[in-house]
Amino acid sequence: MANTKKYLTRITRGYTEFSYATIPTKFTRFMRRCIIWQAWRWLVLNIKILRIVAFGHS
Amino acid sequence: MAKIVVLGSGIAGHTAAAYLRKWLNKSHEVVVISPNEYYQFVPSNIWVGVGRMKPDQIRFKLEPKYKKWGINFKRAKALTIHPEGGKDSEKPYVTIEYVGQGKEGQKEVVDYDFLVNATGPQLRFDKTEGLGPEHGHTVSVCNFNHASHAWAELQKSIKKMEAGEPQNIVIGIGHPGATCQGAAFEYILNVYHEIDRRGLSDLANITYITNEYEVGDFAMGGAYIKRNGYITPTKIFAESFLAEREIYWIKRAGVYKVDDEKIYYENLAGEYKEIPYDFAMLIPAFSGPGFKAFDKQGADITDKMFKPNGFMIVDADYTPKPFEEWKASDWPEVVQHPEYKNVFAPGIAFAPPHTISKPFTSPNGTKIVPAPPRTGMPSGVMGKVVAQNIRDVVKGKATLDKLKHKASMSKMGAACIVSAGYGMTNGMAATMTVFPIVQDWDKYPEFGRSLTYTVGEAGLAGHWLKWFMHYMFLHKAKGYPFWWLLPE
Repeated sequence: MANTKKYLTRITRGYTEFSYATIPTKFTRFMRRCIIWQAWRWLVLNIKILRIVAFGHS
Repeated sequence: MAKIVVLGSGIAGHTAAAYLRKWLNKSHEVVVISPNEYYQFVPSNIWVGVGRMKPDQIRFKLEPKYKKWGINFKRAKALTIHPEGGKDSEKPYVTIEYVGQGKEGQKEVVDYDFLVNATGPQLRFDKTEGLGPEHGHTVSVCNFNHASHAWAELQKSIKKMEAGEPQNIVIGIGHPGATCQGAAFEYILNVYHEIDRRGLSDLANITYITNEYEVGDFAMGGAYIKRNGYITPTKIFAESFLAEREIYWIKRAGVYKVDDEKIYYENLAGEYKEIPYDFAMLIPAFSGPGFKAFDKQGADITDKMFKPNGFMIVDADYTPKPFEEWKASDWPEVVQHPEYKNVFAPGIAFAPPHTISKPFTSPNGTKIVPAPPRTGMPSGVMGKVVAQNIRDVVKGKATLDKLKHKASMSKMGAACIVSAGYGMTNGMAATMTVFPIVQDWDKYPEFGRSLTYTVGEAGLAGHWLKWFMHYMFLHKAKGYPFWWLLPE
C-alpha cells in the first residue's frame, strides 16, 4: 500500500464508517505476498473449490 | 430422434450444448440460437476494463467452433415460444429473427423436442435515468465492448490526474434492485490498482456505491468465515479491503438518476442524496429477454412461462412469504418448467423464488435489495445438469417427470475471486467461497452455511487461482483436449 500513513490518519480522526474498518497489520500484508505461504494456500483453496463443485450437483 | 434447441450461448447455454453434443450421437440434433457472434468469458471482462487484456483474449467466434462440433448455430434472436405447437405444427417451436450469417432480418420457425432457455441478462440501463454507455453518462463492464469503452474512459481520467487534476471515481451498483456486486467490487479494486501503480492515488477520490445493506453482502446475504480465532462476517473482510485502499463506500443506496456531473440516489433512511463524479462504472438492473409465449390456439401465455421480470418460471416455490420463512427448498433443483416439462432454464434465465439478501424498503416505498447473483460456476453446473437430464431422457434412462440429476443453488457452492493487479507477484485477490450459495438455515442453523467450505482470505493465492481459472475455463469452452474433465 502506498499511503499507509494517510489512511491511518483518516481512520483514527475520521469518525465515519471508514474509521471503524479493520486494517491489516504489516505481518498480514507480508503473508499475503509470501510465495511459500501463498503456494500452500493456493493448494488448499483449490481443494476446497473442487470439493464444492463436486458437492454441487448429483 | 431428438432435436434440442438451446437459446443463448453464455456459460450455461454453451456448457449445455457442448455436453449434449458430446453425449448424444449425430442422429440427434443440437441447435444453438444466439444473437452473439462470440463466446465471452464474462468474469475476465474486468481485466479488459482496466486495459490488462484485449477483448480477443477473452472471446472466440462461435460459428466455426459449432460447425466443427456438429452443432447447428443460428445467429439470431428468439422472438416467441410456442410450447404446445401451433395451428400448423404439432411440435413445440420458437420463432427467431436472424441478426447475422447474411440472413439479417429473416424470420424462421425452429421446432424442438427439448428447449434449453439459457438466455443471459438483458442489461436494463433504461431502468435508471442517465445510466449506461450508449444512452447515458456511465460506463459498464458487463460485456467486452462495454469493458473496452470503460478502459478508454478510465484512461481519460488517468491522463487528467497525470496533469494534476483530481478525479472523483464512483463504481458500484446503478439500480436499487441490481446484482453483480462482486463484479463492481473487483472492478473498483482493479481501478485503484491501476491508479496507485501510476502514483496517482492521492488525486483519486474513489467511492463504492452499493444497494447492499452492508458492504460484503454480495447479494448473498453476506457470509460468515472462520479466521484468526473468530467467526467474522464478510462485512469486515470487504470493508477492510476498501479501507486499506482508501476507497470510501456508500451502502443501502438505490441509484435512480445520473446526469453528466452527479449520481443521484435514495438511501434506506429515505434521504435523497447526490455524489459528483468524473468517471463512473455502475452495474444496471437485469431482466429476462422478454419473449412472448403462446399456446396452440395463439393465446398469450407469457405469464404462465415467465415472471414479470422476464425470467422463466421453473420448479421453484414462488409462494410469497416473509424473509424469516424462506427455505433452501424454495430453490429449483432441475430448472424445469412445471407444466412444459421439456423446457429448461439454467443460469440467469430462471426466475429465482426470492432474493437471498433480506429485502428492505425505504420510507418512500423504494425496495433497495440486491437481486440474487447467478455467477459462472452455478450457471455452468446448471447447464451441465440440464444436459445430463436431457441425455438421460433421450436415451430412455429417465423420464421428464422423474429427472435424476439435480443442482440447486441451495445445495451448491460458488467461488467469487476478486482479483486486482497483473502478473505472478504483482496481484492481490480477495477469495471468497460459499457453500451453499443460498443459506440453508435447517442444515446450518447458526450461520446458514458450512464454515469449512465458506472461506474468505486475501493474498496472491487467489490471484493465481483467478488466472488459472481464466485459462482453464477458456480451454474448456473451446473444447480443447479433455475439456470434459475440467469442473464447471
